[in-house]
Amino acid sequence: MTIQANQITKRFGAFTALDRVDLEVGDGQLVALLGPSGSGKTTLLRIIAGLEQADEGSVWLDGVDTTRQNPRERRVGFVFQHYALFRHMTVFENVAFGLRVKPRRVRPGRDEIRDRVHELLRLVQLDWLADRLPNQLSGGQRQRVALARALAVEPRVLLLDEPFGALDAKVRKELRRWLRRLHDEIHVTSVFVTHDVEEALEVADEVVVMNEGRIEQKGHPDQVYEHPVNSFVYHFLGSVNLFHTRVRDGQVRVGEQVLAVEGEDEAVVHARPHDIEISRTAEPGWLEGTVLRIHGIGPVVRVEVRREDESLVEVELPRERYADLRFTVGEAVHLSPRQAKVFAEAGRQSN
Amino acid sequence: MPGLPPRLRAARPAEARRAVTEPWPVRAGLIALALLFIALLLVLPLVLVFQTAFAQGWRTYLAAIREPDAWAAIRLTLLATIISVPLNTIFGVAAAWAIAKFRFRGRQLLLTLIDLPFAVSPVIAGLIFVILFGRRGFLGPWLAEHGIRIIFNTPGIVLATLFVTFPFVARELIPLMEAQGSDEEQSALTLGASGWQTFWRVTLPNIKWALLYGIILCNARAMGEFGAVSVVSGHIRGRTNTMPLHIEVLYNDYQFAAAFAVASLLALLAVVTLVLKSLVEWRAAPASAPSEAAAG
Repeated sequence: MTIQANQITKRFGAFTALDRVDLEVGDGQLVALLGPSGSGKTTLLRIIAGLEQADEGSVWLDGVDTTRQNPRERRVGFVFQHYALFRHMTVFENVAFGLRVKPRRVRPGRDEIRDRVHELLRLVQLDWLADRLPNQLSGGQRQRVALARALAVEPRVLLLDEPFGALDAKVRKELRRWLRRLHDEIHVTSVFVTHDVEEALEVADEVVVMNEGRIEQKGHPDQVYEHPVNSFVYHFLGSVNLFHTRVRDGQVRVGEQVLAVEGEDEAVVHARPHDIEISRTAEPGWLEGTVLRIHGIGPVVRVEVRREDESLVEVELPRERYADLRFTVGEAVHLSPRQAKVFAEAGRQSN
Repeated sequence: MPGLPPRLRAARPAEARRAVTEPWPVRAGLIALALLFIALLLVLPLVLVFQTAFAQGWRTYLAAIREPDAWAAIRLTLLATIISVPLNTIFGVAAAWAIAKFRFRGRQLLLTLIDLPFAVSPVIAGLIFVILFGRRGFLGPWLAEHGIRIIFNTPGIVLATLFVTFPFVARELIPLMEAQGSDEEQSALTLGASGWQTFWRVTLPNIKWALLYGIILCNARAMGEFGAVSVVSGHIRGRTNTMPLHIEVLYNDYQFAAAFAVASLLALLAVVTLVLKSLVEWRAAPASAPSEAAAG
């Protein structure tokens, strides 16, 4: 089942939530809509589901125009951030709901419903909780029930709105891996919304980065991470060091990195903290600075370096490597990025 | 902790408790005061109503209730209640649904209008109906032409009761429905339920206790309403007197035992209402308990 959204525009009063967005999701794919809050990702998902109407544009499911159809007719499964389980129904009844409300002529029989619900509950590994009420479950369990409930009606596509957003870090991690495995098992075309970069990169087949109602970039997670198309995407995917550098002969130089740029006076070079080499000994062309602060953060150590022009550079090194070097605060060090990027419209975004 | 003054050191539980409660004479005094107040203003009058009602014995009590005018008043009160409670229940659910689940122009105005019967004195509410439907009122001549009598007649009493009991159900439901949001309804829709199925299977079960509570309060007010009904009734014995009006008439005629006998029925209703209300609250409590309690 494919999803196609064409030129979707949605305004809330004066605020433009989506501005002529095109999205295509291939059959059986698991796609992440990734972006900061207010980027329009949830609105796009709700428009695909039919819970929200686009002002302009059309939504096609499996090649059929569903723009004028209501959520009921679209047959999509939707999973809400806060689960939205029916609080007065047991887990079993929640999952059975979609089957029970079917028109009489297509409604499965009582035994069939029971078997199907238990099968789904086994799939989400919660068969033993069938008789509980939602408020007796943990957050992760509730979200799995919500997923089973959405799958019960055999939806054509599965849409998940920040499905792990309300869970704590550890449960989140477990659940997203589990979702990936589940998707590999049942292969239903799925779109999930998230603002968590790690989650998107780990789980999705394709990542769609959104910002201010537009799609900035889409592609395979590695592709998007390694080749961000602009400064916004670069910033959104991780920590950034910026180097404002003068352009000479169509080139900028930061440490040992030499990058080609199109004729400007100044360019902004982007480099990730873990892509910066730090050393005590001076090498030709390297940047100079003094160590300002040192923090250990789990497996990495972050060293903050102040350059002569007062700008700060963050460097991250693996703990073992730091153990060899052992910098002290106030010590003079030398820096050079191993990898860096410069964007044509650099500086357009600089949160 | 050498530097800390003794008061700030970790106290033993008993000490800690003492630190945040009042000394016992103060507590006992406050509780006694509250109980005295309740006894004086709530319990004593209730006891007196029943005492006066039975002052001249069972026979007088039963006679006062079986008397034709009293029966007519009871029937009229029941009629007004049977009409207005279901109507206001339907209206209240519809209004609460619209206000809590949707954002639309005029929403705030509707919210204010629902409160209007609370804000307006019941006497004025009654007068509005007289001005509107009375013989010299706005629609009076037209109604008279068609032989329809509303004021000093049953329809007027039903209308006044409807007006006064208008907000109870809606007011009870709106905060609850707003707190619950519409996620559950939306998931029902995506699961293929129709609007009607969503209402009966998802919305109604979620609000049932608040709804019942609203209906009980609405019912109590419908039976007990005096001011608005008094204005539109005309006090025609046996025809347009409701129970509260009948009680007043009897009282003004110095028939204290009879007045209190009928009053005891209303008082009994109040007691039943309170019992039902506590029952509903007690049943509803586990359902609305914080849902995060078991979350891990």
